[in-house]
Amino acid sequence: MTKWAVELKDVKKTYRTGSIEVPALRGITLQVTPGEFLAIAGPSGSGKTTLLNIIGGLDRADAGEVLVEGKNLQLLPTGELARLRLQRLGFVFQAYNLLPVLTALENAEFTLLLQGVPVKQRKERVQKLFTEIGLANLEHRRPGELSGGQQQRVAVARAMVTEPALILADEPTANLDSTTATALLEVMEQLNRAHKTTFVYSTHDPLVMERARRLIRMRDGQIASDVTHAGQTL
Amino acid sequence: MVSILLLVKIGWRNLWRNPRGTLLTALALGLGLTLLLISLGLLDGSHEQLVSNAVRFGTGHVVIQAQGYQDTGSLELLLPPEVVATTDEFMHSEAMKHVLRGMSPRLLASGLLNSAVNASGVSMMGVNPKEERAVSLIPQRIIEGSYLSDDQESGVVIGVELARKLAVKVGGKVVLMTQAVQSPATEPTDGDEGEMQSTLLRVSGIYRTGIEAIDAHVIQLPLAEAQGLLGVPNRVNQVAVLLEREVDSRMVARKLREQLNGIPVEVLTWREAMPTLAQSFVLDEAFNYVTNGVVLAMVGLGILNTILMRVLERRYEFGLCAALGLRPVQLAVMVIGESLALTAISLALGLVLGLGAQHYFATAGLDLRWFFKSSLPAGLVFDPIIYSRLSVARIASSVGIVFLTATVISFYPALKAARTELPGALQVF
Repeated sequence: MTKWAVELKDVKKTYRTGSIEVPALRGITLQVTPGEFLAIAGPSGSGKTTLLNIIGGLDRADAGEVLVEGKNLQLLPTGELARLRLQRLGFVFQAYNLLPVLTALENAEFTLLLQGVPVKQRKERVQKLFTEIGLANLEHRRPGELSGGQQQRVAVARAMVTEPALILADEPTANLDSTTATALLEVMEQLNRAHKTTFVYSTHDPLVMERARRLIRMRDGQIASDVTHAGQTL
Repeated sequence: MVSILLLVKIGWRNLWRNPRGTLLTALALGLGLTLLLISLGLLDGSHEQLVSNAVRFGTGHVVIQAQGYQDTGSLELLLPPEVVATTDEFMHSEAMKHVLRGMSPRLLASGLLNSAVNASGVSMMGVNPKEERAVSLIPQRIIEGSYLSDDQESGVVIGVELARKLAVKVGGKVVLMTQAVQSPATEPTDGDEGEMQSTLLRVSGIYRTGIEAIDAHVIQLPLAEAQGLLGVPNRVNQVAVLLEREVDSRMVARKLREQLNGIPVEVLTWREAMPTLAQSFVLDEAFNYVTNGVVLAMVGLGILNTILMRVLERRYEFGLCAALGLRPVQLAVMVIGESLALTAISLALGLVLGLGAQHYFATAGLDLRWFFKSSLPAGLVFDPIIYSRLSVARIASSVGIVFLTATVISFYPALKAARTELPGALQVF
């Protein structure tokens, strides 16, 4: 059993458009301990999203090793990657997180359904989470009938409900006002503490960075700094 | 299984994100099925009418003739005397009586019909009026006078064109001239073999079929009179058999061949007796398949366009689903489910409209008389009002073909969805 939730060893990624090459990650080495609440900050183009995509198996690195719970994602075929995402990872994106034709409840139980979890168990788990994060009584609303903050909370609930090893959130507060963003962060923190779920999220909002217990700053595809909230530099 | 239901549910709900668009698309596709049903119904109906008319103006569904008659048309080829009795006994047996509508022995010959003002070559048909009524349409198409009566020993019915040419009316006198025939197996009765014979006939009735070839040439007279004129008492050269259902033609012909085995006769179905007509149906069907292929292609392209547009519009959603762990095959199932749901709605609409149209055309018919203005063309060989006929099998096959086409075509957009690439599909800006 590995001691890291995520481990990256000299990970490199370059995007190519015709003859133009744009290096997105220039040798990232990183370890994430289970239960961490980690923020990745940096300006646009610094490689935050690429890093999250590679950790989440949404994209593949050109070089290096990407291990999630000890599994080398570079070696997994596409089908296995999909299975890993379904069983062990949760995702929260910047916006448009939900399927518009499903209700909040159906969106939240979507991944459970795909996992084949029985209906009673599904409902119980979702209801519990909804109560926990303040979504009670909104179960039957469609995304179009929810505010931006409520939609993001449903997305967090969907990511959490399968009890994953790791939740990856790509700028989850980017489209929210500061009050709603703070409330969402509180929900994420609360879940992190209560369930010991590892959270890795990207942001360029200083307010959100402050809430992280570990903050990695990126610049030009490299880690510029890696600081814990207690002031320890890793 | 649960996940398939979820995917189908998502597909179904996706259809109703734009209800107007979905309904318009379904209506367009449904109209494709409607057109298909109307086209097939009218085609089958017109074929049925054509066959019905052709067999009733011609040979019946099954015809028994002397061996070689079909190829030579020689009027000297008479049926052996026992054929009529054997056929009559068999066709009225317990096994066949529900299949039989009527049978009529006929003596055919050519002759010259003279009136006081003109003369015209004719095809004469000696018939038993009672039996001919059950088989031929001519007795039903009398427009002046009356058809031959059962006990009538003399008299003739002629077509309206012939009456006009000869300038005769009902009750008028005509003289029929013909050459006496003698089959090799029949002894001459009064030594007039091959000699010209004539008889004076009074016009009993004038008919109009709308078919010029019949109205201007075919005359019917009592069988005994024809036999006497031609010098072949108690002989005929054709037995026309009319059945309740056309589909029994082959079976009846086969059984009759068995019954008449060893006798030098040929038993033909109407398709064999009238090969040109049968071939025209084949050609008609082929042309119809091409037309229906075009309709199906339009339906298919409609489905393809709609579903493909929906897939391309929802690239992000497919990316999201893939990111959450949906496998490519599940994405494809979602799209196919959506496509099948759209097809099901289209088929329901198409069936309602198509069967409604079919009911209208089956009862009121498609009246083509407006097309021909006030006068029908002289060579018209079909009723100007076509009544649609659509079997359950035709409906089922049409629905099945449209469903299959839509399903096969939905594989392409499904493939597109299955090939959703990450993380590219998740890029919003």
